[in-house]
Amino acid sequence: MPVNETIFAYAVGRIRALETRLLDKGKLERMVEAASGDEALKVLAETDYAGLVAELASVHDFEKILQEEIKRVFSLVKKISPQPYLTDLMGLKYDVHNLKVLLKAKYLEETNHDILFPVGTIQIDKLRAMVTEENFRDLPVALRTAAEQITEEFAVSRDPQVIDLSLDRTLYDMLITAARNERAAVLEGLFVREVDLANIKTFLRVKRMGRNKEFFKKAFLPQGRLTADLFINLLEEPLEFLADRLAMSDYAAVVSEGVREWQEKGTITRLEKLSDDFITDYLQQGKRMPFGLEPLIGYLYAKEIEVKNIRMILVGKINGLPIEAIRERLRNVYI
Amino acid sequence: MEIRVNPTRMELNRLKKRLQMALRGHKLLKDKRDELIRQFLLRVRKNKELREQIEKELTEAFAKFLLARAVMSAETLEEALMYPTARLALKVEKQNIMSVYAPRFTWEQEKTTRGEDSSIYPYGFVGTSAELDTSIDTLSGIMPKLLELAELEKSVQLLADEIEKTRRRVNALEYVLIPKMHETVRYITMKLDESERGALTRLMKVKDIVRAKV
Repeated sequence: MPVNETIFAYAVGRIRALETRLLDKGKLERMVEAASGDEALKVLAETDYAGLVAELASVHDFEKILQEEIKRVFSLVKKISPQPYLTDLMGLKYDVHNLKVLLKAKYLEETNHDILFPVGTIQIDKLRAMVTEENFRDLPVALRTAAEQITEEFAVSRDPQVIDLSLDRTLYDMLITAARNERAAVLEGLFVREVDLANIKTFLRVKRMGRNKEFFKKAFLPQGRLTADLFINLLEEPLEFLADRLAMSDYAAVVSEGVREWQEKGTITRLEKLSDDFITDYLQQGKRMPFGLEPLIGYLYAKEIEVKNIRMILVGKINGLPIEAIRERLRNVYI
Repeated sequence: MEIRVNPTRMELNRLKKRLQMALRGHKLLKDKRDELIRQFLLRVRKNKELREQIEKELTEAFAKFLLARAVMSAETLEEALMYPTARLALKVEKQNIMSVYAPRFTWEQEKTTRGEDSSIYPYGFVGTSAELDTSIDTLSGIMPKLLELAELEKSVQLLADEIEKTRRRVNALEYVLIPKMHETVRYITMKLDESERGALTRLMKVKDIVRAKV
C-alpha cells in the first residue's frame, strides 16, 4: 500500500470494537436450535439487531432488517474509512444489481420494482433516470460501455441472461482493475478468489446443463487465476479430473470436497459453503493487522456472511426445515 | 297422486304415448348415465395418478426453491427471475365427452429470446445458487403436466355435474313420472270401463222398459 497505513488507525479502532459485536457461533447455534422463526428472532433481539427487530411487525418481513443492516454497515464504513473509494468497491455489486433490475424492468416495461438495494454508490433515482433515457454518460466508463453494449445486444437476442452475464463480468473487471490500480492487495486477492470460485461453480453448473464451451466462455469471468482453457478442456471430461487439475491450487480442498458431494448427492451446497468459508479464511488475516485496509474489508465481508447466515436460519425456521439442513449451510463466522 | 286429467279416450291415448316416450327416455338416460360413469372413473383414476405425481415433483421443486431462497437474498432472487425466457401460448378448445363440453388445452411454449444458444435460465451465475438451477429445471418440466392435469380435473368436475343431473333425471323418470303415468292410465281405463259398464246397464234397463211397454 502506497499510503501511510497509520491513517487507518481510527477506522481500525472502530472496527475492532464493532467486530466483537458480530454474531458468534454460539448465538447462531441458539438461533438454529430455536423452535420457530419467532423464537429465533428473539435471540436476534439480544444482539446488535435489537433496534431493528423491535420495529419489525412480523418475522416474515425479516428481509427488511437485513437490508437495513447492510445499508447501515456500508454507510458506517464509508464514513470512517480514510479511503472510501476503496471500501466502496465492496458495494459496487449492489450498483450492478440495481442496474440489472432497472434494465430488465425497462425491457419488461414495468416500473414497479421494490427489489433494488439502497446500498450502492450510485443513487437509485439517478440510475433510474439514466436507464429510462438510455443515457449512461454518468456511469463509470466500464459500466457505461457494458450498459450500451447490452442495450444493443438485447434488442437482437432478447435474452435476459445476456444482461446478467455481461454485467457480472464487467463488475469483476472493474473491481480487479481498480484494486490493482490502487495497489490494494487485499481487495485484489479477495476479488480474484471470488472470481475463481465463481468460475468453478459456473463450470459445474454449465456442465450439468450440458451446454457447450461457447456458452461457458460467455459465462466465464476472465480476471481470475484459473484460465478459461483449463475449464474448457475439462468440460468433456469426467468430473474427477477437475479435482485432479486443481489439486495443486489453493482451491484443492474446496473443490475435492465440494465435487464429491456434488457427485454423491447432486447438490452444490457443500461447495457453496466451502467457497464462502474459503474467502472468510482469507480475510481473517485482517484480524491480525493493526493498521490497513484489511480489517475494514474483513468486517464488511463478515457482515455480509452474517446476514447470509441469519437469512438462512430465518428462512429455514419459518418454513420448518430440519435443523441439519440449516446447519450444513451455515457459513463459518469471521470472529 | 295421479296426474289430473279428463278421463277420456283421447286423453288415454295421449297418455299412453307419453308413457312410451318416458320409458324410452328412461332407458336412454340410464345408458347415458352408465357411460358417463365409466368415462368418469377412467378419468378419475388417471387424474389421481397424475396429481400424485405432480404433487411429488412440485414438493421437490419447492423444497429446492426454498433452499435457493435461503442462500440468496430476496432481491437477488427476484432479479434473477424477473425476466422470463419462455412464454406459453394457451389455446382452449372444446371437447365433447358424451355431450359434456370440457375444455381441451393446446399450448405452445415459445422462447422469448431470439438467440440460438439461449437457455431457459434467465440469470447469470455469479450470486445465484446452483440450487436455483435444479428447481427451475423441475418447474419448467412440470408445466405441461400441470396443464394436462388442469384439463383433466375440469373435465372430471363437469362430468360429475352431468352425472348428478342425469342420475336425478333417471330417478325422476323411474320413481315419479313413470309410476304416476301408469297410475293415471289405470285410472282412466277404470273410469272408461266404469262408464262403459254404466252405459251398458242403462242400455239394458232402457231395453227392459221398452220391452215392458210393448
